[in-house]
Amino acid sequence: MENEDHSPDNSTEPAGSVKHLFHELISYLIKLNAAPLSSGLVYFTAGLAAALVIGWVFFPIALYSNDVQPVGFSHAIHTNPDIVDGETEAERCAYCHGFRDDGSFTGIPALSKCMECHDDPESPLGESPEEKRFIEEYLAGQEEIPWHKYYTQPDCVYFSHIPHVKNGEIECKTCHGDHGAMDSLPAYKKNRISGYSINIWGENIIGYKTNTWDRMKMDDCAECHTKNSHEENNDCFVCHK
Amino acid sequence: MKEIKTSGNKYGMVIDLDKCTGCGTCMVACASENNVTVRADESDKERSIAWMQLYRINNGEKFPKTQTGFFPRPCMQCDEDGNGGHHSPCVSVCVSTATKLDQNTGIVSQIYTRCIGCRYCQAACPYHARYFNWWDGYSYFKPFPDGLERSLSPEVSPRMRGVVEKCSFCHHRLMRAKDAAYAQGRRELEEGEYITACAEACPVQAITFGDLNNPGHKVSELIKSPYAFRLLEKLNTKPKVYYLSSKEWIRRMADNYLPGEQVKGVKL
Amino acid sequence: MDPKDKKITERLGINRRNFIMLAVGGAIGTALSPLPWKLTDDIAIWTQNLPWVPVPATGEFSYAKSVCTLCPGGCGIKVRKVDDRAVKIEGRTDFPVNPGGICPLGMGGLQLLYNEKIRFTSPMKRVGARGTGAFQTITWDEALDTLAERISGLRDKGNIGTLAAIDGNHSGSTMPVIIERFLKTLGSPNYMRMQTSQDTCETAAYILTGTRGNVGYDLENADYILSFGSGLLEGWGSPGRVLNAWGLWKSGDLRDSVHIVQVEPRASNTASRADSWVPVKPGTEAALALGIAHVIIKDNLYNSDFVEKYSFGFDDFKSADGVDHKGFKTLVLEKYPPEKVEEITGLDAGDIRILARDFANASAPLAVCGRGKGALYGSLYESTAVLALNALVGGINRKGGIFINEPLSVAGLPVLEPDISAKTALDKGRIDRAGSSFFPFSQSLFNNLAESVLKENESPVDTLLVFSANPLFTIPDAGDFRKALDKIPFIASFSPYRDETSMVADLILPDHNYLEKIDDIASPAGLQYNLYGLSAQVVKPLYDTKNSGDAVIELAKKIGGPAENAFPWTEYEQVLKARVEGLYEIQSGLTSYDGSSPPWQRSGSIVSPSYSDFDRMWEEIKENGLWYQQPYTSRDIEKTFKTQSGKFEFFSSLIASSLNGIDTGALGIKASGDEICIPHFEDASLKADDSFPLRMYPYELINLSSGWIPNPPYLNKTLLDDQLKKDQSFVDINPDTAEQLGIKHGDMIFIESPQGRIQALVNIFEGAMPGIVFMPLGFGHSAYDDFLRGKGSNPNEIIFGGKDPLSGQTVWWDTPVRVIKA
Repeated sequence: MENEDHSPDNSTEPAGSVKHLFHELISYLIKLNAAPLSSGLVYFTAGLAAALVIGWVFFPIALYSNDVQPVGFSHAIHTNPDIVDGETEAERCAYCHGFRDDGSFTGIPALSKCMECHDDPESPLGESPEEKRFIEEYLAGQEEIPWHKYYTQPDCVYFSHIPHVKNGEIECKTCHGDHGAMDSLPAYKKNRISGYSINIWGENIIGYKTNTWDRMKMDDCAECHTKNSHEENNDCFVCHK
Repeated sequence: MKEIKTSGNKYGMVIDLDKCTGCGTCMVACASENNVTVRADESDKERSIAWMQLYRINNGEKFPKTQTGFFPRPCMQCDEDGNGGHHSPCVSVCVSTATKLDQNTGIVSQIYTRCIGCRYCQAACPYHARYFNWWDGYSYFKPFPDGLERSLSPEVSPRMRGVVEKCSFCHHRLMRAKDAAYAQGRRELEEGEYITACAEACPVQAITFGDLNNPGHKVSELIKSPYAFRLLEKLNTKPKVYYLSSKEWIRRMADNYLPGEQVKGVKL
Repeated sequence: MDPKDKKITERLGINRRNFIMLAVGGAIGTALSPLPWKLTDDIAIWTQNLPWVPVPATGEFSYAKSVCTLCPGGCGIKVRKVDDRAVKIEGRTDFPVNPGGICPLGMGGLQLLYNEKIRFTSPMKRVGARGTGAFQTITWDEALDTLAERISGLRDKGNIGTLAAIDGNHSGSTMPVIIERFLKTLGSPNYMRMQTSQDTCETAAYILTGTRGNVGYDLENADYILSFGSGLLEGWGSPGRVLNAWGLWKSGDLRDSVHIVQVEPRASNTASRADSWVPVKPGTEAALALGIAHVIIKDNLYNSDFVEKYSFGFDDFKSADGVDHKGFKTLVLEKYPPEKVEEITGLDAGDIRILARDFANASAPLAVCGRGKGALYGSLYESTAVLALNALVGGINRKGGIFINEPLSVAGLPVLEPDISAKTALDKGRIDRAGSSFFPFSQSLFNNLAESVLKENESPVDTLLVFSANPLFTIPDAGDFRKALDKIPFIASFSPYRDETSMVADLILPDHNYLEKIDDIASPAGLQYNLYGLSAQVVKPLYDTKNSGDAVIELAKKIGGPAENAFPWTEYEQVLKARVEGLYEIQSGLTSYDGSSPPWQRSGSIVSPSYSDFDRMWEEIKENGLWYQQPYTSRDIEKTFKTQSGKFEFFSSLIASSLNGIDTGALGIKASGDEICIPHFEDASLKADDSFPLRMYPYELINLSSGWIPNPPYLNKTLLDDQLKKDQSFVDINPDTAEQLGIKHGDMIFIESPQGRIQALVNIFEGAMPGIVFMPLGFGHSAYDDFLRGKGSNPNEIIFGGKDPLSGQTVWWDTPVRVIKA
């Protein structure tokens, strides 16, 4: 094949010149057009493109589960000042996600917290069908809701909310995003390999962060600890147990 | 080497060997507090794990002059020599930075998920305070646990096979105490708010725990006692665990003394 | 060339070169995508969180207050919980018995709760051969019906006397009361409680003072503690409290002023850590006590005020019938000069003199008795001798002395007259003859029970109920009791644990674990003031088990008739409450403790209670788990002595009247005449032939459970290299003795008594008395799980002892043995 046709490099143009390269390209394209599959470049490009599509499109989809929370819940309704007491937004968050006397954080509230308001299974407080389902499936039978927890850190991590929220005066949304304004709960995406939620291991597959709440990995903690505090606050035992 | 600030706390322990009765409550309290694993054959001391280990010593005298004594041995939480010299023995050899001296507490940390299980630190520790996990102690299949995993505390991570573990001075209790203080609007801890599980459990109150940097704490007073000494002090590992004993034969066993050499502490 | 002529592969250009181009393109594309990098990271994360390594669930932390009922110590415990899960046991600082500390067994208690392999998870009936442990799950109804029918059948046939119960619960608490009540209303006198040294000491106090109550030791206020083999550091009394007292003695100013002397043949923890160690031959402690008494009397160092005012029988006297009697003084001066005691005990006469003078000259001397942990009964005469020694220095109901307290004033349950058939059965008397004219000073005699079961063709016990006890393992009788059990047709065990005794049972009615149930401890062993401890339900019962108190009530209802009438309650808690009403009536107790001033520091003024009515008081007791009286409120010395003379009797008129006309020789008493009524030394060891030249002494460890409670696995960590090695336990032997025997450290040997032999490894120990081999109690289980089964040897299996004079119990502290190299 190589010796059948003579490419224009036998022309008078000196090899290496722009014109020479141009001729080369033209003749290659002509050849490519005539017999596209005989060129290695097509295979190379096909492999490259397929791998990129798998890696960038299918892999991220396959890597994470897409679980729906057991019951729909609107943070927006529940953080409405007319419904929940609290001057500031943080206070309203703390109505359900608050601190105990020993300084520990309640996290996702238990059913008993819901029952402080939804105390009567006979009378729903709103008209949402999800509330009806919540009452029928969980409240009536006193069964705890098996929430998928977006922010479960690995067992080796020690994290306490109180020094961050109370002492560091960090807003909830700095790490958790502004989901207090959301009307529905996002899907829970669990990394099928590591077992941890996408909220911990990064919304963006390459780890690029646009918002402070996009990721909660060790580097994200360390970044803030180094920036805002003493270097000693990066001691291993500060965040590990 | 850069100079180390020691502005923070330096937690330490004083164990009164005159009081220690060798009952072993400290060991059980420690194991129970820290999710230490237990195997069917605990008599194999090369394989069993005990962050707090009780050693029995004997004065070697003939009957009926025989006396035994006990050495409870937690991790000594060795320090740097302070002159830019050496690190704690284990810290300086760790190839994966899984163990580190915390400057704010004086506690030597051990991060299991970072440990690669090379056991170099175990070899370096002069006090045999480090233990290797030869098995997954708590696992949903053998060799454990028949429901025993239900007593595991969430405050301490259960260890996996292939990593080294050691006493952490119940570091999670420090965090617990801090949380409680923050909830009350305090940043500083009072004496006694943070003590280790062994110190709390000791029924004869032989173990005192506190901040060696705070002259008001009882430990700072106790380490000035003429009976105070540390294990293998000549190695200059600067342990933060002190012992008290009025018995010279016990103090002699704490270090490598030449025959006839003056033993540290007051001669009775 | 026409492309159509080409093969399809050629047309597509599929050749090696293009395939490589495709692969290279794919590889570069993959590398430029997040796939490999993210995958590597995720897999690395996965290895840090291996799915089989458990992640303990977190939640709300809380503490639940309770009282430890694992031993009669009654220490206060708080259980740290995460939601409903218990994760740690700690000592309570708001409990007066044990300010903050508890013993290793109590600390390891969660492993008794959560270890499924050692527990019964539901009622069971035996399906295989006895001892194979083959059981089948049944319902509670079936279990209780089976037992009720069997007991009703016995009653219908007039054989109710063949019903017997063995109970390991603590004296004075409610379970013994209702179990005995259950038996008595039906007509069986055969209620047997495992006997402890506390029982022996209380009997001794009853003999000398006439009060059958709690014997308490004011350890915290004493400044010279003379312990006759009591394992103060081995778990004696209430371990949390005794260890705390030890800490006090070694603190501050007391460090130099409190002197502790341990009388024991082996350098135990207590002996080693004491200020002086006095090694005596086992079983000769009474001789030493009386030798000390001799020196004190001879040197006129005794408390003449107490002796003159409050004692009887110190000097010789003439009784009402005109007979001259010898007194304690004469006997002691005659029989126990130090030189004589030196011969008996192996101690130096000069040392005895020094010891006696130091003891008498101390400002608050206290002599303590109860061998080892005190979990096993002791020698009765020895206990009287130690009590007499305390009396000699005036240390009865005095600060820093021994306290003979009235029993806790809990209310008795309504008295029910047994019906005719029950009465007839009761009149037949007990199978073990305890309390009869032959053994007037014993409550239960397991050796007699085993003997009569083995002797008769048909077992005199048809149905045996076992509560909170593992007699098969704990009774020191060389396995006689095991043989007896084989002959008993029906055994029902109420134990929550798969212990040796339940393994041979026919029916299992498992109790809750101690952290799952409410129960009481009346007067912790050896405490100097009256205290009532009430445990709480710390966690909800994990399995299909039932509080034995409730089980007995239900059983009584199923049997019906008098049994039903005797148990009008619907649940056990009502019984507890009914008994506590007695505490309300005396209007002087406290229901909370803030830790600021320990009860033993307070003086005896009566404080007004914090509660206004009984229900309020009950709620407070349930919340704090305790009710206690200020100590020393019963210091009225004359009221304490309810003897015939109204005084402390060095010469016991109770022994004189009880043994009147009895062949004392048959009771094993070698002494004769007045000496029988006076504390004295009896050589009770059984002599074997010359081929058994050594003696064996079983000892106890605080970090090894030797009773019916299985040893939690964490305690195995605390055992030393020379206590257990793989599945072999060690025997402590003095180096000189070992040399004579030609054995070395680590050798495997057989220890053989006339009753059999067991195997152990040799531990050469300088602290062992020559000529004696020392074996720990608590090893050698054949039941439970891998943590316990088949580890070490149980010295109880080769006990060969005579009967302790007066009490009739088997002597377990002195067995003739020989050693054979394995």
